[in-house]
Amino acid sequence: MESETGMDFANYDLAPAIFDEMFTQTGEPRDGTRPLHEALLRLSQEELGGIQERVTHSFSQEGITFTVYGDEEAEERIIPVDCVPRIVPAAEWEFLERGLAQRVTTLNRFLSDVYGEGRIVRDGVIPVDVVRGCPQYRVEMRGMEPPLGVWVAICGTDMVRTNDGYFVLEDNLRVPSGVSYMIANRKAVKAGLRRVYRSSRVRDVEHYGRLLRETLRELAPRGQTDPSLVLLTPGIYNSAFYEHMFLAGELGAQLVEGRDLVVNDGFVYTRTTSGLRRVDVIYRRVDDDFLDPLVFRPDSLLGVPGLMHAYRLGNVTLANAPGTGVADDKSVYAYVPDMVRYYLGEEPLLQNVETTLCRRPEGLEYTLDNLDKLVVKRVGGSGGYGMLVGPHASAGEREAYAEEMRANPADFISQPTLALSRAPCLIDGRFEPRHVDLRPFMLTGRETRTVPGAFCRVALREGSLVVNSSQGGGGKDLWVLED
Amino acid sequence: MILVRSAQGLYWMSRYLARAEHLCRMLALQMEAMVDRPFREVHFGWSRIYGTMERTPPWGDIGLLESDEGLLFDSYTLAEDMTFERMHPESVWSCFAMGRENARQMRQCITGEMWLGLNLPYLRLQRMGIRDIWRTSPETFYTETAGAISAFTGAAADTMYRDENWSFMRLGRAIEKAQLTTSLFLTQLQLSRQADDSFDGDWETLLRLYHAFDAYLVRYAVQVEPGQVLDLLATDSQLPNSLSRMLGHVEEALDALGPGPDATASEELHRLAGRVSALVKYEWDGRHNPEPLLNEAYRLCQDLHDLVEATYFDYPLQDAPLR
Repeated sequence: MESETGMDFANYDLAPAIFDEMFTQTGEPRDGTRPLHEALLRLSQEELGGIQERVTHSFSQEGITFTVYGDEEAEERIIPVDCVPRIVPAAEWEFLERGLAQRVTTLNRFLSDVYGEGRIVRDGVIPVDVVRGCPQYRVEMRGMEPPLGVWVAICGTDMVRTNDGYFVLEDNLRVPSGVSYMIANRKAVKAGLRRVYRSSRVRDVEHYGRLLRETLRELAPRGQTDPSLVLLTPGIYNSAFYEHMFLAGELGAQLVEGRDLVVNDGFVYTRTTSGLRRVDVIYRRVDDDFLDPLVFRPDSLLGVPGLMHAYRLGNVTLANAPGTGVADDKSVYAYVPDMVRYYLGEEPLLQNVETTLCRRPEGLEYTLDNLDKLVVKRVGGSGGYGMLVGPHASAGEREAYAEEMRANPADFISQPTLALSRAPCLIDGRFEPRHVDLRPFMLTGRETRTVPGAFCRVALREGSLVVNSSQGGGGKDLWVLED
Repeated sequence: MILVRSAQGLYWMSRYLARAEHLCRMLALQMEAMVDRPFREVHFGWSRIYGTMERTPPWGDIGLLESDEGLLFDSYTLAEDMTFERMHPESVWSCFAMGRENARQMRQCITGEMWLGLNLPYLRLQRMGIRDIWRTSPETFYTETAGAISAFTGAAADTMYRDENWSFMRLGRAIEKAQLTTSLFLTQLQLSRQADDSFDGDWETLLRLYHAFDAYLVRYAVQVEPGQVLDLLATDSQLPNSLSRMLGHVEEALDALGPGPDATASEELHRLAGRVSALVKYEWDGRHNPEPLLNEAYRLCQDLHDLVEATYFDYPLQDAPLR
């Protein structure tokens, strides 16, 4: 792990309990990582520092930003990017792809079922209160069936790896974000590491926009072949606005806000400089609550009055469909392996993290007794906000959290604190291991598609397990290798 | 057929950037004047800047700067107010930031080169304050900022597809420049009238602002004569930023845009653009006092803006055609 001329991994910490994405326990580069490892050793500290600087600079120049809510000083923040890619060998990716397709197929079936006959509840696979008690269950969607039965057209699944393999951490089925960072990371990192990128035979991810466009066109109302697409954004102050803008460009779709749309006679139109133009498919990046003030939150200024009426008439497609949040609720998550068996008659390929529901008295008791060992999450939470990482929390923080759990146990689940895998990152001019996860994106239209890659998030703070960009996390390019 | 909000964003982006550029060019000349021009000319320059932008200085009135100390002290504050004051909607910073903010919101409508051309100077500007530019060569800062906006406009001309996005950008820039130019001419005339004596330097600066000094020498004589300066800057069809040329651009942009949802409103807009353009083109010659005509042109430019808004942006939805 040492080099005479360039960078080295001499002081790189390989903890036995933690899977390292580049090295085996004996310090040997894993399959597929050797060309990258050798290339890194050939680079001097200055050269690698220069690459890192150019990667960061390219994000700043391009304005690839996200917004941290409540942080007035940093309205537009550049997402930190580490220039050392993470490698996923072909066979591993092939397995993940199959597992993810199985999972998203299941979740689509589940949504059709719980907004239709409710067989899974009737057959006792999942308790009724877990489904109907979920705040994301939208009674307004009862009896609806979106085009091709696809509720979740775009899915971003958070996955982690430990010494025991890959686990699904959560399914993001509402408005998953991060795909633009995946592509931006790729563009920036491959420009810096061009030679090793070429020799490593990395699979391309930059055709994601084309796949997304095909998917959305397939979901057009009444099988239209040349539908008009728009991307609905909450606006420039949304944390993912850069992504919305980026994807609209990739789709060749107009980027619209609620105020750009009007509903007339059951159809949706954009306000253009020449009059009103019909819209067929809306890739919406606005939460259910804000979609239509006549149906959901009446105080919403982000939505379009009458949109749900047009949707119910089948005159416009919303992707993802409203109500998908019931399938990525953290309580419902615990039942996904059972759903796979129930709907597909197959064993789940991807593992869930063992999850304890605090809505059950024994679950609450267990969680409270082991608060210093567990990660506790709010069932409706996201973005790393409002979670407790027991081993890293103070006694006072744990006690305050326990109070909240006792008051509303159904709002919480707990999971063991996983030893997330680590990958080498360039920190202060040297390689140090940092915890990582990955969010691959699955697209479902007539078929399920994906690009071989993922938004790889990294907890840049030493020892931190929280990879969310709002909580000090950053990004990394993830290279899926050809077979 | 583009989104109303996109059209509006691009139109305003261009207006703000044209305003920032114009202000930078005026400030660059003002900084140069402070090196070796008489107090009265420096004073005139500040009054012209504030008058053109229709603002008042922080303390209400620009007093006559009668000493080196006063000149530097007041000019520092005035330059800061006009350049970096974030609460001041017409400062260079505010105009640039608003232009860039509109560009950020409309990024899918502009090219990558345009975005980079705007974002890089914005990031630089964001970190700067008056102290950073004052001690060495403030005029360099203004020239570079104006140059960055020119480069952005050049990148747009070189890389943008000639669709409605382009036409709304062009329309915003032309209307803004026409309005700023009439406002500047009116301010210059009013200030000259108030002054006890008229300095060539005041009018020379105007020529330099429009890169028209050489053209003036070719067309007229070495002696700078106010009436001839205005003639050149208002009506010369070969001068890139003359008033008549800007109004011609307004007409061209409207022709390229075609009618909005309401054909009657569109016709009215075209008629108005033709009227203001003809006013400068055909009624300027031979006027002893151009002030009434400039006042009329200024008012019509404001009406043009209002009518653009009404025709393309704020039309009544109930009558809009369905496409």
